[in-house]
Amino acid sequence: MSSEEVIDRWGRKRHAAKSRQGKAHGVKHAKLKLMTIIGLGLVSLTTLVILSLTFGTIKITFLDALDSTISLITKFGDPEGMNEMVIYHLRMPRAVAVIIVGAGLSAAGAIMQALIRNPLVDPYITGVSSGAGFAVTLAVLGGVYIGGLSVLTVPLSAIIGAVGAFFLTMILAEGAGGRAMSYVLSGVIIGIGLGAGNTLLMTFNAEQVHGILFWMFGSFAYITWEDAVIITVPVAICLFMVLMYARDLNTILLGDEQAQQLGLNTRRFKKIMVVLVSVLTALCVAFCGVIGFVGLIVPHVARIIVGGDHRLLLPASMMIGANVLLVADIACKTLMSPTELPIGAVISVIGVPFFAFLMLREGKRYAM
Amino acid sequence: MQCEETMVKVEKISFGYNSKKALKGIELEAGKGEFIGLMGPNGSGKTTLMRCINRLLTIQEGLIFLADHELKTLNMMDIAKLCTTIPASIPDDFSLKVRDFVALGRTPYVTNWWWEGDEDEKIVDEALEEFKVSDFSGRRLNELSTGEKARVLLAKGVVQRPKIMLVDEPSAHLDLKYQLQVMESLRSLSRKGITVITASHDINLLTKYCDKVILLSKGEIVDYGSPHDVVNEKAMQEVYGVDVSLVTKGDTIFVLPMKPSEPPTDAEIVKTGQRGMLA
Repeated sequence: MSSEEVIDRWGRKRHAAKSRQGKAHGVKHAKLKLMTIIGLGLVSLTTLVILSLTFGTIKITFLDALDSTISLITKFGDPEGMNEMVIYHLRMPRAVAVIIVGAGLSAAGAIMQALIRNPLVDPYITGVSSGAGFAVTLAVLGGVYIGGLSVLTVPLSAIIGAVGAFFLTMILAEGAGGRAMSYVLSGVIIGIGLGAGNTLLMTFNAEQVHGILFWMFGSFAYITWEDAVIITVPVAICLFMVLMYARDLNTILLGDEQAQQLGLNTRRFKKIMVVLVSVLTALCVAFCGVIGFVGLIVPHVARIIVGGDHRLLLPASMMIGANVLLVADIACKTLMSPTELPIGAVISVIGVPFFAFLMLREGKRYAM
Repeated sequence: MQCEETMVKVEKISFGYNSKKALKGIELEAGKGEFIGLMGPNGSGKTTLMRCINRLLTIQEGLIFLADHELKTLNMMDIAKLCTTIPASIPDDFSLKVRDFVALGRTPYVTNWWWEGDEDEKIVDEALEEFKVSDFSGRRLNELSTGEKARVLLAKGVVQRPKIMLVDEPSAHLDLKYQLQVMESLRSLSRKGITVITASHDINLLTKYCDKVILLSKGEIVDYGSPHDVVNEKAMQEVYGVDVSLVTKGDTIFVLPMKPSEPPTDAEIVKTGQRGMLA
């Protein structure tokens, strides 16, 4: 092999042959890579969870948080003392929700980007966030108490709004031919319509909008164990299902015709994926508000690290998404303590410079 | 070349986009291992015919048989195991690696939940070696040259283990060396028993390599036979509207385009009795 060296644009020496060539290693290597992603992701997630349990209005040290967590796990709950009560009732459900929402939104973003083959697409493209926002505003302003449970007014009306907007988008898209671009355009149109309706409603009820805005900016501050379970179980089922379709998502990247000639029923597959993504997103939005950035950017970061194969990309997106959102949530709690910052804004402030750095470093290779 | 076994049989098929007929009464037969070239100007129906053969488009009249099975009776997986389509270019905007891309050709056969099995791995490795792409199989598609992409596309087509290969514009955007390499590869595949049908604007490559050529114009077959029988000055002028000169070298004929044909004058049309053209 030639030992010819080249200097890349960062001034680093590289072997020309190695930089241009590269043999792939096949399935065994891919499996190893997947294990590494999951292993590293879990180690980092565990550390972040303990960190997340230490921060909040009531001060708890890292070691105390660790002790309390181990104690709670060995006792299967049943908290004793102040620290365990705070960790068990306030901070644990919040951490669980953050992890599942981070994983869910990131996977949803990766799927929608592949289906529509557009890097600017995020999970809200089918209009679900606008639908949820509109319904929440309507319910709060109208003083609706669903089933007498005021606590569930916001999440339930958000789910109804999200699912309603999604069905409107599907009806419009199917009527327009059911192509990938039909879904995008229909989602944008429905989203704009409901967003505008929401703005008008809030304009005429300016004194009541604070609560709605707080939900819209996204927050995990009021998540209870009940909420965490309601989000986690269906989102985990959806995530498991989308993982089963990872190979088909690779096939759809080739375009509809190529995917069809490989035996994939593209129309049916896209419908299943759009439904799964919308359910995922609607649940996340309903309890935690509209959190941008994760669903749009995390899949790109994962793609830069592991490439475009969805068997690696989806687990990597979930891991990175969960970690990133947990970091952002810790930042929300600590930066202006005791005031909580909106997580949607915080994650963008943290994420934008990081993503800009990655783009500058890897953008050309990644074809951005 | 005598057909031992018919792999593609097209019987009087018609297809139209909305009210415009793109194919009218097409009939053809391709035997096992035959290399057939589709030629004709833009909009003549070459790509549409290939899309109908693997049911990416549904014909409105007529019948198509793949390896003696009527196309309508086959499901998508059956068709995928019989027939592959090689497009003119690779969508490379989502950074799949070469090996992962080629392995997608195994989609109709993979029974595992996620990963390809050992047998699939072996077939992929063989194809990567055969088309000399294994050295860069770890690179992303968007890092490849056009010539490398053409070889990668062929490798993906071959791992699909098809009996029929439909190839759209195999020589598009390639330099002379790669044009010849790709056509040599296709001929070699046909000699191994795969029926290859390719659409191209490069008449010279088709006449040099194909066993038979089909000349299409406005959705109809104008002529079908060996390149020597089909390619002549009159046919080229009528179908392409170009005056050509033919040069023969050995067994191969080459078409040299000279200039666009002059449209016939009204007097010539009247003289030759083609009055309908004046209507």
